[in-house]
Amino acid sequence: MEIVVANESDVAVFAITGRLDAVSVPQLEEKLSQWFEQPGKKLIFDLEGLDYISSAGLRVFLTTAKKMKAREGKLCMARLRDNVKDVFTISGFIALIPAFDTLGAAKDAVK
Amino acid sequence: MIMKKLPARVESLHELLTFIRAEAKKLGFSESAIGRIELVAEEALVNVFVHGYAGEQGQVEVHCLVSDDPALTVEVHDTGVAFNPLSLADPDVQSDLTKRKIGGMGVFFIRKMTDRVAYRREGNRNILSMTFLNR
Repeated sequence: MEIVVANESDVAVFAITGRLDAVSVPQLEEKLSQWFEQPGKKLIFDLEGLDYISSAGLRVFLTTAKKMKAREGKLCMARLRDNVKDVFTISGFIALIPAFDTLGAAKDAVK
Repeated sequence: MIMKKLPARVESLHELLTFIRAEAKKLGFSESAIGRIELVAEEALVNVFVHGYAGEQGQVEVHCLVSDDPALTVEVHDTGVAFNPLSLADPDVQSDLTKRKIGGMGVFFIRKMTDRVAYRREGNRNILSMTFLNR
């Protein structure tokens, strides 16, 4: 798994590629905990390159969504592949974190 | 039947999933079906890694059984404390962000994404048997 963090003005975009599973989750947790040390309020997960997510990955998304709510921030996801979207749909997480087909739409949503 | 046995820890995950993926591929499962098989297998294996041996070291075995169905049955065996993961209640997938909990999600995926799933205890073994039909 690879994570590239890009900051555009006050929006942080986490582009996650590869497999988000029980092995790779600590990497994402570490990047996120660094980000949460800053006062940022706008966060996007760009999942165009994400091949696979398990409940270990969902756990991090849920924790992040709760933290963003606590700081009255905005979190959304962009460009989910069909198999990844299935996991979000079955788990009900699709209703907890807004998902958009394009990165542009996600950026508009957090503005 | 073919089998792979490794230490019950997260570092074994990819090798075990690669083993299962190769069996599913031989049976002609589609890429999307293989993705679901991997997900279910990860959830079953991580349960054993985290809870199976209560912090002690142990082993996990993955058995791949092929039947005439055509189907693939993946069995996860451990010799930890007797535990039936299917006894856990489903999470409330309708609850809102404030109330939502992550617990039980792995077992929920196991139930939802298998065609048949069963737990049995044989001697000192926990065996979770998960069958996927090749449609």
